[in-house]
Amino acid sequence: MTARPALTRYEHRVQPGRDGLPHWLLTTDHKRIGILTVGTALVLFFFNGAIALTMRAQLAQPGLDILSPQSYLQFMTMHGTGMIVLTITPLAVGMGVYLVPLQIGAPRIAAPRAVLLGYWLYVAGAITMIWGFLTPEGADSGWWGYTPLSNSVYSPGPGESLWTAGFFLAATGTLIMGGATLWTVLRLRAPGMTMMRLPVFAWTQIVTNLMVIAAFPSLLAAEAIAALDRAFPGSFDSNFWNIAYENLFWFYGHPVVYVMFFPFVGCVAEVLATFSGRRFFAYKGTVLSLLVFATGSMAVWGHHLFASGQTTNDYYSLTSIFLAIPAGIEYFGFLGTIVGGKIRYTASMLFALAFIPQFLVGGLTGIMVATPSIDYQVNNSYFVLGHFHYTLFAGSIFGFFAGFYFWFPKATGIMLRERLGKLHFVLLVIGTNATFIPFFFLGYNGLPRWVPTYPDASGFPTLELISSIGAGFIGLAMTVFAYNIYISARLPRPAPPDPWGGHSLEWATSSPPPPYNFDLAHPVPKVRSYAPLFDLREQGLAQAAPQAATTPQSAETSDKRGEE
Amino acid sequence: MTFRSVFHQLFTEESTIAWVVFGLVALTMLAALVLSRRRRKRGREPSKLMEANKLELGYLTVLTGVAAFLMVSSLSGNNKELPDPPKPAVRVQVTGFQWCWRFHYEGQPVTITGQCRGGGIPTLVLPAGKVVELDVTSIDVIHAFWLPYLRFKMYAYPDHVNSFTTTLNQTGRWEGRCAQICGLYHYEMYFYVQVVSPAAFGQFMRSRGGAATAVSQ
Repeated sequence: MTARPALTRYEHRVQPGRDGLPHWLLTTDHKRIGILTVGTALVLFFFNGAIALTMRAQLAQPGLDILSPQSYLQFMTMHGTGMIVLTITPLAVGMGVYLVPLQIGAPRIAAPRAVLLGYWLYVAGAITMIWGFLTPEGADSGWWGYTPLSNSVYSPGPGESLWTAGFFLAATGTLIMGGATLWTVLRLRAPGMTMMRLPVFAWTQIVTNLMVIAAFPSLLAAEAIAALDRAFPGSFDSNFWNIAYENLFWFYGHPVVYVMFFPFVGCVAEVLATFSGRRFFAYKGTVLSLLVFATGSMAVWGHHLFASGQTTNDYYSLTSIFLAIPAGIEYFGFLGTIVGGKIRYTASMLFALAFIPQFLVGGLTGIMVATPSIDYQVNNSYFVLGHFHYTLFAGSIFGFFAGFYFWFPKATGIMLRERLGKLHFVLLVIGTNATFIPFFFLGYNGLPRWVPTYPDASGFPTLELISSIGAGFIGLAMTVFAYNIYISARLPRPAPPDPWGGHSLEWATSSPPPPYNFDLAHPVPKVRSYAPLFDLREQGLAQAAPQAATTPQSAETSDKRGEE
Repeated sequence: MTFRSVFHQLFTEESTIAWVVFGLVALTMLAALVLSRRRRKRGREPSKLMEANKLELGYLTVLTGVAAFLMVSSLSGNNKELPDPPKPAVRVQVTGFQWCWRFHYEGQPVTITGQCRGGGIPTLVLPAGKVVELDVTSIDVIHAFWLPYLRFKMYAYPDHVNSFTTTLNQTGRWEGRCAQICGLYHYEMYFYVQVVSPAAFGQFMRSRGGAATAVSQ
């Protein structure tokens, strides 16, 4: 695998490893496309987050006038679609584009030019959607875009059309990227890298991208119907088409929440194992549960329609609650790993540890909303907002940050500041829980979603105020995060190839890796298990891992390694 | 009232399970942190155990048991709520529109509606202790008829009618609202449900030019 693959004619012009804007923007190097994807998604994370903070300012007290009802709906639609379609999905898929070829010892990703096209389709989708948001009649039908509200009769103007087109483009882009990652892990593994030796993160990418290729086409069909309806009003007037849109939408819309979840389960698994100083526990059970989980999650979409009178509630309740079993097995792996571990409390590890109880809140309330008799009450209320912000923010985003602090040194060759990372962590834990716990009470007490203001009753003002203060903490945390990246890039502290004592192949190569991932100086090591670098250390064939230190201060010393 | 009692039974049940699970996970995490600290102090290496299949199978069995219990109680609760509908004493056509509600007592010349915005919130009057059927529909976009007191909501589709029956035993007045995004004034789409004695209900219907016979059955 160390041999450099033959260059295509395209790659003679745009060469991996060369500096300069064209060599980045037209690159076929999966690492650069991965960094571009994650970077773009992070910029949009700040954009959609700023929109959320504006909404939280509006909601801090009843009857405020910071946003008009019209703008509120536009902001809310942009926040929801922007976070799901333009931020967390690309983060999930983009991390796979970057990491999977490295983790399997491959020199490149399959179909690199298609992956580049996928990235640019995603960017085109983002630009189109934000352009729509900036028009006076921006999209305001929520991120589901249910018909007939989103059709040209009830939502005239270019905003909703641009939203539909942007959604379509971005979903197509991530679909292509996901498909290529899946192909890569199935076909381009290094010798010795069998399927049952893949790191847990690579496995989460397999199940994620299986769901991407199974579910995203359904969204394309739904948005095609919506687009035709906008172009030719009256073509889809029967209620049949409303129900069809809802089913097509959720056939994408539910799997996509697992697309936005599994890769971060992978991040958490790798981080927990590394900083516990042991192999990930119950690997086989975890792999099996991921496959069962992904299969099952294709059959739960109707639980979004319990209150619609148009679906088989018993069936979808059954399938949805069934998912608690594979989810529980994943928790078995997480907990088993840390129980036997000698834990190093890095910023990355703190995010991974917080993921466990925080995502659990989202999972347990998920069982509640999977119960029709409870969902009849809490559906479309703040309770559901609380539930999915716990899964997506308190869960997925924390998993993302665990992975970000973990792999940033690998991708850039620069260490992030640990102390700032820990400050980011503490502020984000406070902010996240203060923001989203009140949602459960607000929804339980009868406050629906999608409202720009609320009555001065039922304790709503106090709960909303707590939530808005929490959002302020999130804003502060993200400022610290941005400053951390800025200062780390400004006064760089170079990263060694393996700053953490990692387990998988990406830690065997340099930081950042050479153009084709591994070279003569950094060959692909022998793979005998799902933790090949751990094996080498155990046999004394690699440099001693940081966790070999046995003094109580070793957590501190290992933190300082990158600061030398 | 079945909706309300089933909701509270299941919510209590699932909250209890949720707290227990959360507590167990939190305790396990705490144990992991304490054990790790002890390992570090005594200079011991991390455990080399890679799997514990018997433990995992036992865990899987317990997990499956809990999931099966949750499934059974979810399904039986839901089926308690939707029995073969008894013959309703009152049928009301509930129509959502941008942005208020219209309540039409079927077979009666009685219709209640309003503008919702700036007052004029319509009140649906119903007799206590009688089976009522609500036929929910819309004339424009999708709305949802949500009465938090009842612990129930139902989507209102255009070109389609969704029906449900219920019996409200207590007299009183409760606020309801639209629970489906439906455009600019979604947040002002309120309504009230007022439950009165059957006699008072008869009086109300007569005062609106209808017949009270609807509840005398």
